[in-house]
Amino acid sequence: MQLVAASKMRRAQEATKASAPYTLAARELLTALSNHTSVAHHPFFVKRTVKTRLLIVIASDKGLAGAYNSNVVKTYIEQLRIDDAAKVKNTTIAVGRKAAQFVARIKDTEVLGVYEDLPDRPDGRELNAILDSARLKFTSGEVDAVDIIYTHFISSINQHARILRVLPAGFKSAIEPGVASDAIYEPSTEEVLDGIAYRLVGAQIFQALLDARASEHSMRMLAMKSATDNASDLADDLTLEMNKARQGAITEELAEISGGVEALNE
Amino acid sequence: MRLTLTTLLGVKIDQTVYELIIPTAAGEIAIFPGHEPLVTLAVPGAIAIRYKKTDDDSHLEYFAISGGIVEISQKSVRVLVDRSIYGADIIEAESTAALERAIVLRDNAENQLDLEKAHQLVDRHSVRLKVAELHRRRRHL
Repeated sequence: MQLVAASKMRRAQEATKASAPYTLAARELLTALSNHTSVAHHPFFVKRTVKTRLLIVIASDKGLAGAYNSNVVKTYIEQLRIDDAAKVKNTTIAVGRKAAQFVARIKDTEVLGVYEDLPDRPDGRELNAILDSARLKFTSGEVDAVDIIYTHFISSINQHARILRVLPAGFKSAIEPGVASDAIYEPSTEEVLDGIAYRLVGAQIFQALLDARASEHSMRMLAMKSATDNASDLADDLTLEMNKARQGAITEELAEISGGVEALNE
Repeated sequence: MRLTLTTLLGVKIDQTVYELIIPTAAGEIAIFPGHEPLVTLAVPGAIAIRYKKTDDDSHLEYFAISGGIVEISQKSVRVLVDRSIYGADIIEAESTAALERAIVLRDNAENQLDLEKAHQLVDRHSVRLKVAELHRRRRHL
């Protein structure tokens, strides 16, 4: 299991870097577009007082991944307490069977959707339903913010559960606008902005899915390594015990034989 | 001109090309070096790439793309789409079976959401089959 987890971890780690050029390109396009139209007025960027929020919780389908799922659940509970104290209502989308099982037991939140058995190598199709739900709820005003709780992947040995706000979207200018200032926007700047904003938010959710996958496989690999090491230590200890017991039995048998021979000689 | 095709799974193409034919919201457009700067919406469909001016149609390379954004400047074209697949990588038998399943889903959809999802699936697999056919036909030109 350790070897399987290690192989999946390598693939998942490589995938976490894959969506970076996509996000950068979308940001560059948005920077250029901000010179032609007001980005802040797009429904994705409008900030409202948060009275209801949507939490997207990403955990795993399987266990045996160390503290992976419990860390996510802990962060989720913290957020529910914060909402409770601030009298903010919330709804939840659970991604992964472990998240779904936990969310089903919580009475304070409404479950908007459950997504299980996502592929090991996400290709973007799986996020469409989540993105569309988030978009509809946010633009219709049913929720005032959309947050993702997932495990941020830093390295094979360093990952931590965290919360990331995806809607209202934050606009961070790119260094280079990347688009000629006299460019024509077709069919209109608003429609192009709509397309870019949708993709930028989608890329953030997709990145969270990739990070969560890489973290899950890393933590499972470490958990399996510890289990293998513990089993190996236990096997060594038991082998030592067995050898001691066998040696003791041989010594005792030899002592009895020598004792018998000496008794016969006398 | 430089063509960059970027998807959620990374950069698929980053090289010099002579011509790019791409489906947009306003119809299919052919882009050559020196094109007017333009930013437009790409729609799901097939893109065709001619790498050199001297290449004939049998050398065109086809990709199936999902919707996205196309940014054209005089010296470069940047295509930002969620997904793309190279014509040679499409397995026609799988796409045909997937299209048949999607048609069944569309015909049996019980609500608007299911119907929209089924339509998307039908479109995606139809585009893939079209690209696979274009790729196959190209080899016989």
